Amino acid sequence: MSGRAVFVHDAALEEYGFGGEHPFNPIRLRMTIELCESLGLLKESHFDSPEPATNEDLRTVHYSSYVRRVQMAGHGEGDLEELARYGLGTQDNPIFPDIHRACAHVVGGTLRGARLVMNGEAEHAMCISGGLHHAMRSRASGFCIYNDAGVAIARLKEEHSGIKVAYVDTDVHHGDGVQWMFYDDPEVLTVSMHESGRHLFPGTGGIKEDGQREGHGYSVNLPLEPFTQDDSFVESFEAVVPEVLRAFGPDLILSQNGCDGHTLDPLAHLSATTRIYEHVPRRVHELAHELCGGRWVATGGGGYDIWRVVPRAWTALWAAVSHQEMPEEMPEDWLSKWGEESPVELPPFTRDDADDYPPIKRAAEIEERNRRTVEDLLAKVLPLIR
Amino acid sequence: MLLVRDWMAREVVTVEMGTTAAEALALCRKHGIRHLPVLEGGWLIGVISDRDLRSATPALGDPSRAEALERIQVGDEMLRDVVTARPEDPVEDAAAAMYKGKIGCLPVVDGDDLVGIVTSSDVMRALARLVGVHEPGSRLEAALPDRPGSLAEIAGITRDAGVNIVSVLVAPRPDGAGQRIAVLRLATIDPRGIVEELGEAGYPVLWPPATHPGEGRA
Repeated sequence: MSGRAVFVHDAALEEYGFGGEHPFNPIRLRMTIELCESLGLLKESHFDSPEPATNEDLRTVHYSSYVRRVQMAGHGEGDLEELARYGLGTQDNPIFPDIHRACAHVVGGTLRGARLVMNGEAEHAMCISGGLHHAMRSRASGFCIYNDAGVAIARLKEEHSGIKVAYVDTDVHHGDGVQWMFYDDPEVLTVSMHESGRHLFPGTGGIKEDGQREGHGYSVNLPLEPFTQDDSFVESFEAVVPEVLRAFGPDLILSQNGCDGHTLDPLAHLSATTRIYEHVPRRVHELAHELCGGRWVATGGGGYDIWRVVPRAWTALWAAVSHQEMPEEMPEDWLSKWGEESPVELPPFTRDDADDYPPIKRAAEIEERNRRTVEDLLAKVLPLIR
Repeated sequence: MLLVRDWMAREVVTVEMGTTAAEALALCRKHGIRHLPVLEGGWLIGVISDRDLRSATPALGDPSRAEALERIQVGDEMLRDVVTARPEDPVEDAAAAMYKGKIGCLPVVDGDDLVGIVTSSDVMRALARLVGVHEPGSRLEAALPDRPGSLAEIAGITRDAGVNIVSVLVAPRPDGAGQRIAVLRLATIDPRGIVEELGEAGYPVLWPPATHPGEGRA
């Protein structure tokens, strides 16, 4: 377990953001990178700089009419009402100058990581700008313009005939965009673990969405109860993810590591701590070694407590990707620099203290419900995956 | 869009009084249906369900079953007091007629002609369509006073936020007199601003909660 780990990044990737008070703020990338560097986990030699995805890359999963509209929008062209039908210029997905190029660069990042891993130049790769899992074939959705994982998977399938890719999404929101892109494809297993869509965006991701035609059984959805805490999250993950991945036998694992399931996240209602953001990458890492020669590409995703949660969660992710131990204490220089900008007090340790997050009253009931979901899900999909 | 004609089946499989139980059950199996209107000379005179026929015949494995299936005729067991719907009826009227009559289907008649059949599962489909997830969105439940303009005001708040409404449903609040509940599906991943504005405008959002229920710790 000591192959080369690559951190795919370029300053240009920090251009993908919507400005102002918008919750999707690329400053979280800068904070994460500086935290990794300050902790001594990230060196110059880890970095790899990607090119933007080409239009041909984007067209593997997006319609050209949509790509054209994103390009027009970024140059101040196009009819606003028409763009809104493509999800552009809404509250969630405001148009900003050169939006096409910024997002195409993010796609290029995840694609670069996937190619490095697949051709053996890297054992694992991480692109924290990626993880734009809500983008649809012809529609921007939930802060996502282009679907980086979708493009990377589609390109890998073209370049390596017969390759099987497992997509593992632990963002608090259902990974709908990626799921629908490969809904009838038995060579792509999509696994999404998220807060139930009863109330939360995007509303899909029930266990009955399990793929169609040849892909029946290859879309796996594990919706969790609101206010699910660490123990139940980890138990559910362990019951489902290793099982379905082993049944599938991937050649590469692509993980979406949104960290908005943390209890401090303002957009959702799970009650997890940093514990799951160490557990999930560590286990995905082990499964990659067990099942596919270590081939693992990790992306970021959602995460809207940008001060206290995202930098620590994605530093833990990088530690797993790069086979390093994450130190206990947050570095002084980082705390003093970002503490000045942060509206909230920054935590002094890299890990949350479990004592600060005791079980809530309904914990037992929530655990029981999640257990039932897991049982129903496994009974449904396991016989179908091969 | 929520009329019986939008949800009914137009291809109706029918039987006659003299059709045997065996033939009628075979038709149900073949078409995957549970209800058969009974016609005589083109006139609707009854409805028979697979359940009526099963309860009229001996159970599987009973030696007299085969004979009974051939002997019993639809006319012996059918419901004669048929409740029907018209194509222009609202789906909710059809639903009410079905649950009041404890029946699973309504033949749809236009004048004297049988033009379709609507079943409880068709009504379920209509309901799922009405409140379902057609495009990505967040679901909010807000309480509103029962007075003109409150829905318009809610819609105004979402409009000002630049957020599209995917679907909206307003119903009386089960636990509170004089209030209604609006269930909104909003095309946004971040409804926080709208939740806050609704609260300030006097439309408290019942879900999602404004803060995590941390006080609920054991």
